Amino acid sequence: MAETGRLRQAASAGPLLSPVTLVRVAIILGALSIWELLAHSGWLYRDVVPSLTRIGAALVDLLSHGDYYFNLGVTVGEIAAALTIGGMAGLAVGILLGANRFLSKAFEAYLYYLGPTPKIIFFPIMIMWFGVGPESKIALGTLSCFFPIALSVAAGMRQIDKVLIRVGRSFRANTMQMVWKIYLPAMRHPIINGVRLGLGMALIGTLLAETKLSNKGIGFLIIQAYSTFDMPQMYAQLIVLFVLAIGANALVGRLGGLANIKSK
Amino acid sequence: MSAGAPARGSPWRAFAPAATGLGTLIGFLLVAELLIRIGVINRFIVPPPSEVIESFGRVIVEEHVPRRFLLTLSECLTAGVMITVFGVAGGVTMHRYKLLQQAIETWVAALAAAPVVLAYPLFMVIFGRSAWTIIMIGFVAALPPVMLKTLEGLAGTRKVLVNVGKSFNLTQNQQFWKILFPAALPTIFVGVRLGLIFALINIVGVEFLINYGGLGQLINDLAERYDLPGTYAAITFVILVSVVFFMALEKVERWLRPVD
Amino acid sequence: MSSSSPPRIAGAILTVDDVTVRFETPEGPVIAADDVSFTVKDGEFLSIIGPSGCGKSTVFNVIGGLLTHHEGTVRVAGETINGPHQSIGMVFQEESTFPWRTVTANVAFPLELTGMPKQKRIERARYFIKMVGLDGFENRYPGELSGGMRQRVSLARTLASEPKILLMDEPFAALDEQTRLLLGDKVLQIQQQLRQTTLLITHNITEAVQMSDRILVMTYRPGKVKRIVDIDLPRPRTSEIVGSEAFGRYVAQIWNDLREEASRGLRDEEAHVLHHEAASS
Repeated sequence: MAETGRLRQAASAGPLLSPVTLVRVAIILGALSIWELLAHSGWLYRDVVPSLTRIGAALVDLLSHGDYYFNLGVTVGEIAAALTIGGMAGLAVGILLGANRFLSKAFEAYLYYLGPTPKIIFFPIMIMWFGVGPESKIALGTLSCFFPIALSVAAGMRQIDKVLIRVGRSFRANTMQMVWKIYLPAMRHPIINGVRLGLGMALIGTLLAETKLSNKGIGFLIIQAYSTFDMPQMYAQLIVLFVLAIGANALVGRLGGLANIKSK
Repeated sequence: MSAGAPARGSPWRAFAPAATGLGTLIGFLLVAELLIRIGVINRFIVPPPSEVIESFGRVIVEEHVPRRFLLTLSECLTAGVMITVFGVAGGVTMHRYKLLQQAIETWVAALAAAPVVLAYPLFMVIFGRSAWTIIMIGFVAALPPVMLKTLEGLAGTRKVLVNVGKSFNLTQNQQFWKILFPAALPTIFVGVRLGLIFALINIVGVEFLINYGGLGQLINDLAERYDLPGTYAAITFVILVSVVFFMALEKVERWLRPVD
Repeated sequence: MSSSSPPRIAGAILTVDDVTVRFETPEGPVIAADDVSFTVKDGEFLSIIGPSGCGKSTVFNVIGGLLTHHEGTVRVAGETINGPHQSIGMVFQEESTFPWRTVTANVAFPLELTGMPKQKRIERARYFIKMVGLDGFENRYPGELSGGMRQRVSLARTLASEPKILLMDEPFAALDEQTRLLLGDKVLQIQQQLRQTTLLITHNITEAVQMSDRILVMTYRPGKVKRIVDIDLPRPRTSEIVGSEAFGRYVAQIWNDLREEASRGLRDEEAHVLHHEAASS
């Protein structure tokens, strides 16, 4: 939140001439010129640092082909499916663990320590179980996003301000009213934060699986560009992917921002 | 996780949750074993847990697990030293030069949330199929949290401590080494621990993906040979190693962290 | 239920009869409220005052129906309660507004639960927002308001449920002195306007004397009724009364009662700390 405050400040200090903007522009220009110098120096092996114009051309080429959008659709579909399945499971498990101290003591440590383990190593198992198609990618994405969502929801459930629950009870809210009007809104931050972490995990899991073994999707395109050593193409792929990933993350964050309007 | 409240009443009440957790795990494995043996689950998709456990010894000896383990560990430690040095230096620099911080803090935060590991083909082009590819991915993926936590720790130093320093007329250098840095240290430790976790995840993952190096490659290897119990055993082993690694990091952090 | 129930008083709307509450703690059972009996008359303002740890909040929770494992009975207009009752509205000591709802949506909350149509409940909510003096802030979120304003939102929310008895647990405890006095005026004014039966839990003597018709003094652990004092000051009252001589006499009288209890509580706390130090060293 402090960042937005600073951004607003920077913006109000004059749109183009604020020192922060100048530093940013200088850094970007500096990096780009070093890149361009490297590209033309011939010091590096072949195409490792292609010139900016070639990357730009590859970018235009990439975005003007319907083929890319088909593969993007495949990947987005896989991620969405993974986030839905993993998110629902995570929400359910998180609520159970958050509501029950015994279950939390019995099982939460397992989730806590399994959460940050590398999930991609389960991919061979997922292939055996679900085949080489999109299902195994969805499964890996699901596995990846389940843990952060479950842990975040469980912690959020425990952090609910107890007095809000007493308020609900004092007004004689029934169970459904308690869930919809108190528990869920009170947990909005941890839930959104969990979804945000989960989205990142699902994205990584799904795409890594695609790079390992698949015949469609963004991950497949990237590894194809690598194996044909088409560097401008690969840079273009990665640039679009990172822009999309960071954008999606910011979007979910913005969602959180909307839900938390001025409630510090 | 949380160190449970001191045991009250019978010892059973203190151990019941842990016993339930472990019991569920064992029960789950037994049921799986049974279902596989009576043929409800295909044993060529899921090998019986007993076979997986049996193959542990074989995998460890025949696949040079100790050597692989040391390789992965040294990759992690190299990346760990690098993120500590560059991350803390980066955080300190950002704290010193406010303009720089304002310009790039959001970029670093975005990088922290970015799926860096997906750029592994790029790293392979630059560093070849070598340990350096693996280390560098771990480094880039794990650098932002160390930088951000260092910055957070320095910026979060309580105002009154800074004022105490000023009242003693400390120079800027003294102010940093005697007040800011020690006050930020606990937060920096958190950053380094997070960084090491990120590094481990990415390193093992990339080893698996590019089929090079230590424990990650072992899984890829066994899976490609269709050694089912071996693959399951190797995955279990890697998960166990990771969990032990996380627990050890927590212990070390708690041990290093001054009482606050 | 009880053999020694207090005589039925005409117009008694709330009757608390021999209420005893025991808690199990790691250091053994604690009696939080011991044989507490009193009545509140229709339209009356009664304060319960006592040192911290006397079980005031326990009594609050029992009357509010949030604490049900107690002995004795609580009756509202003759009806025994076991659980939150619609005739009783509670205002909590802690920050209790919903941060995700605007002021209007917060105040309309109890009306929403009963299924009142949207237009009507917004109208009702506005009425009570105006009553607590927050008109102009209808669409703000609690995070944008000061602590005193948020506590007024809580008050309006409880008033909106139109309780027969308004039950408040140290609603001003977290506020600074000036805000507390001004808010006290507001509560008095509303109480007189609505002829609202009010039961206030507090540890602040000035506050209690300023507002109450009667003050019930509780003893330190176990919490018993020590004395009930009639406050015979003219109404309508405002915070200006605080300077008067009669006011001073009441404050002195109640402080006399409380001092004994408070110092007992203090000694107990000190002993507790020493005990813990001894145990941990």
